[in-house]
Amino acid sequence: MARNKYDVDEDLTGRFDRRKLVRMLGYLRPHRRRLALVMAFMLCVSFIGLLGPLLLRHVLDVAIPGRQVGAIVAIALAYLAITVAGGAFARVRLRNMAYIGQDVIRSIRKHIFDHLQTLPFAYYDGRPHGKIIVRVVNYVNSLSDLLSNGILNLINDFLSLVFIVCFMLYVDVTLTLICMAGFPPLVAAVMLVKNMQRKRSQRMSAKLSNLNAYIHESIAGMRVTQSFAREGCNAGIFDGLNLTYRKYWMMFVRGQYVMYPIIDLLSNASVVLVYSFGVWGLDAGAAVGGGITVGVLIAILNYVWRFWQPITNIGNFYNQIINAMAYLERIFETIDEEPAVRDLPGASEMPPIKGEVEFRGVTFGYDADSPLVLEDVRFSVGVGESVALVGPTGAGKTTIISLLCRFYDLTGGSVLIDGVDIRSVRLGSLRRQMGVMLQDTFIFTGTVMDNIRYGRLDATDDEVVAAAKAVKAHGFISRVEDGYETQVNERGSRLSVGQRQLISFARALLADPRILILDEATSSIDTRTELELQEGLASLLKGRTSFIIAHRLSTIKGASRIMFVADRGIVESGSHGELMALRGSYFAMHSAQYGDKKNNG
Amino acid sequence: MDQFKWIGGYLRRHKGYLALGFACVTAFSIFCMVPPVLARAIVDGVIIGGDRKGLPTLLALIMAVSVTRQAVGFTRGVVFEHISQSVVYRIRMDIYDKLQSLEFAFFDRNRTGDLMARLTGDMEAVRHFVGGVLHSIYERASIFIFATVMVFTVHVPIALCLVGLTPIIAFMTYRFAREVRLTFLAVREQFSRLNSTVQESVSGNKVVKAFAQEGFEIAKHDAENAEYMERNLDTIRVWQRYIPILDIMAGSLTVIVILAGGLFSIYGGLTLGGLIMVNGYLWALNDPMRMAGWLISDTQRFVASCVKIMGLLETDPAIAGPAGGSAPTAPMRGAVEFRGVRFAYGEGAEVLRGIDFKVPAGCKVAVMGATGSGKSTFVSLISRFYDCTAGEVLIDGVDVRDREPVALRESVSTAMQDVFLFSDTIEGNIAYGVPDVPFAEVVAAAKVACAHGFIEAMPEGYDTIIGERGVGLSGGQRQRIALARAVIKAPSILILDDTTSSVDMETEVEVQRNLKSAYGDMTVFIVAHRISSVRDADVIFVLDDGLIAERGTHEELLDAGGLYREIYDQQMVG
Repeated sequence: MARNKYDVDEDLTGRFDRRKLVRMLGYLRPHRRRLALVMAFMLCVSFIGLLGPLLLRHVLDVAIPGRQVGAIVAIALAYLAITVAGGAFARVRLRNMAYIGQDVIRSIRKHIFDHLQTLPFAYYDGRPHGKIIVRVVNYVNSLSDLLSNGILNLINDFLSLVFIVCFMLYVDVTLTLICMAGFPPLVAAVMLVKNMQRKRSQRMSAKLSNLNAYIHESIAGMRVTQSFAREGCNAGIFDGLNLTYRKYWMMFVRGQYVMYPIIDLLSNASVVLVYSFGVWGLDAGAAVGGGITVGVLIAILNYVWRFWQPITNIGNFYNQIINAMAYLERIFETIDEEPAVRDLPGASEMPPIKGEVEFRGVTFGYDADSPLVLEDVRFSVGVGESVALVGPTGAGKTTIISLLCRFYDLTGGSVLIDGVDIRSVRLGSLRRQMGVMLQDTFIFTGTVMDNIRYGRLDATDDEVVAAAKAVKAHGFISRVEDGYETQVNERGSRLSVGQRQLISFARALLADPRILILDEATSSIDTRTELELQEGLASLLKGRTSFIIAHRLSTIKGASRIMFVADRGIVESGSHGELMALRGSYFAMHSAQYGDKKNNG
Repeated sequence: MDQFKWIGGYLRRHKGYLALGFACVTAFSIFCMVPPVLARAIVDGVIIGGDRKGLPTLLALIMAVSVTRQAVGFTRGVVFEHISQSVVYRIRMDIYDKLQSLEFAFFDRNRTGDLMARLTGDMEAVRHFVGGVLHSIYERASIFIFATVMVFTVHVPIALCLVGLTPIIAFMTYRFAREVRLTFLAVREQFSRLNSTVQESVSGNKVVKAFAQEGFEIAKHDAENAEYMERNLDTIRVWQRYIPILDIMAGSLTVIVILAGGLFSIYGGLTLGGLIMVNGYLWALNDPMRMAGWLISDTQRFVASCVKIMGLLETDPAIAGPAGGSAPTAPMRGAVEFRGVRFAYGEGAEVLRGIDFKVPAGCKVAVMGATGSGKSTFVSLISRFYDCTAGEVLIDGVDVRDREPVALRESVSTAMQDVFLFSDTIEGNIAYGVPDVPFAEVVAAAKVACAHGFIEAMPEGYDTIIGERGVGLSGGQRQRIALARAVIKAPSILILDDTTSSVDMETEVEVQRNLKSAYGDMTVFIVAHRISSVRDADVIFVLDDGLIAERGTHEELLDAGGLYREIYDQQMVG
């Protein structure tokens, strides 16, 4: 399986894909009313704001020379009104845009998280978990600003630009055209910078992803690190990743800072041009009468500054977009990941399971290019049978039960429960009827009660306690101070592995499954507890089909059938007595544990 | 403010860059003052005064100022980015080192996702503050001050009118800062919680799917996600109250210029050029006011993150080397002694209630006992993953607390019950404790652990990358890699905590045979449940209820007819 790890960059995608942007805009759709409202307000405000220079021109050209105090006061009051209206609007806009931005973030995050729930084991197996987590949390957050204000500002800036040009044209056509001469070189510069920045930002985000993956794994594996006294070496690796990220960040940022000088130079150049032509026009105007006046010149110059402001903003926004694209691509990549195991079209509910299981010529490999784990496996199990799977490690025991729960899809053949191909039913309806206890006992943060209840959320407290009693977990739980309300966390700290196994066992039992699957459920549990547990379990399991993987013979012997898994299939199958009589693989395994029993027994 | 003192400690290491950066900002601000001066010169001198010959010089000056200002601005940007990246780099390393120095109990208490947030989201807030906010504050303040000075040189009364607003603004920003900080603290808390929820859901994906609880996970995430949005909106609510007011204040400066400026130019001897110049400084006065809200807000975001980061950095490791650093460095031989050892996790009930024993170097010790009887706790005290609450643990007669933890663990190697493998190659995983070991030794260790066979059978052999926590390998395979990882260090004391529970019996027998011949003189502690795993030990301890209930060899304990005999009978039935 091609696995990604902390020092491998995720693939860089090629070109800047505008469709991704359009797709992101799709998240704004539910808010289009609100957006339209804010937009309308905003246009009014920026239009009114642009009247400022005109008012100022009037003050300079008319009111002051004419000593019209009343006009000055009136204009000042008008300006004050504009300002207050602008402030009131800023409030409306803040509230609405922040809401929209946050809500879009929330829905993107929900989308990606919900989708992750549909992805099969293979997806999680294929990459460090840290890389998945940052996509859901950090990458989505990084879009926040872009969405809440960026897009709105962009539209606003474009429209202001149009307004400004209109105003400038109204004031003086020639000077406006002169001012706009800076435009073509600007576009050329932006395109150049964009291509450069695109690659840089992708590389930077890949490095960040590596760093995060390493952070996650370091924290999760800290116990191992400390027990091997490897802190120094890990600090070295972390240092390396950290430095690499800093290097790529600096590279990216340098490109970003190129933008401002270009815009500033162009805007100053246009100011210089406007001055030169303006002054020249002043003289020419004076010669012919009319034309450019001092007021016109000042007003134009005021607009020239305003003209470049939205352009600077748009340039900035562009930078932001390029940066955000690197994140956006990762987010959409995750959302677009096809769940390899999913409900087929027309899948029906799994009817209540009786417990008949059949493997028909099952062939399976974890990956197309990896060797087969199982080849043409055939067996059938009757209702209420208990089957023990034994055999050397890595022979495929866990794989067999994973296929039964449809954690992976088969390469060939079919798996049937009560004669129904499990691919033809809905995943949820299938798994809800099975109780699986995995080798990897995962404990969630919460109380012991919550953890057991995970098997069936609507179980009452009494039912939870009953399940705990059945697996002999009640004893140690009630001895702890807070009993079932004891807080435990992820790696189940303060619980021994045996205790975690018992909790997971109770969880599986609580699900009231029609088929119970125990993958090394008791490997870390002492023999006495296990025996007690088995006695209590016998009555609970009556009538239910069960599959048990174990190495301890005392666990296995009670099974109604034992299957020896080796060489990509089942090599021996039968009761303990039958297999012993066979003197084959099972017999050999048995002898390993009991080899010298006679000498001591 | 502690947070600023703290970040100051990091900034101080970059004095040179900081000086350069602030010099650039100062220069930049000064250059920002020039265009209005030139504008006045052009309007008063060239346009109105008719001195056309001065124009080319003035225009050349405009360009020159622009070029210089941008050069300075670019330098400033890059310099501050460099400083912020270096500071963040340093803090990240410090956090990482701190985490590595913290004891198991710390990781028992804290969620992975929570700690991750310190190194991701909180770092971002620090980066943003040092790289952007810090110099923006200085730049806005200096521009404001320079512009005020310039306006004073033009016309004192109008300057007084403009500056009159400043105290009100200062008061508003102060109140704003106080209120918004609380909301940011709440956002940070919720960010950690959200991160933890996602992290657990990803790490526990197998359990989620096994129980078809996707819906429950989604509901859990929805709740945290919505709560996170709500906390962010709380921040916005504070913004809503202050930012518009600051905006209005900034805008009212223009009103003052129109009104006062207009009146002063009619009555108070303000020239038209002077008014235009004042107008030119308007942005320099109102932009800092407009920005004040945002800068304050970003600063408070930074403070909220600092609180969390500093909290982590100030956590003292409970397990550290002896004070004074006089730890013995002689290599350990491996004699282990427990004297009246008692242990409890935190405030909980005692797990070990008085353990006494002494075994010589090279002894093979087996530990048995019921689930939860304290076996793992028992062996974890030897490597000092926890400190005993009473009594002493001695190796070669030296208390483990008198050694450097790292030196101790160099000599004590543990294969833990809960196997954690890293997403790395198999070779990298086996050589985890000794990264530079020659490949031949990796193979040798794998052979001892009976892992060589299945590793070789993989298409990429030792170069196969295994997923996090060892996905792609069966439980027994993972345990054998963990075993190889433990033995390759050739430690003085080897601790095998239920290391072969998922290994099939035939392989287990072989592993034990290999261990015996390859590492004859190590002290070995084996925690196991199978009689076959413990029978050959020099001494077997049977733990019960926090005490060593029985001790002796296999034969002695069988004859004693106690707990061990009972376990034996149960396993040997049939």
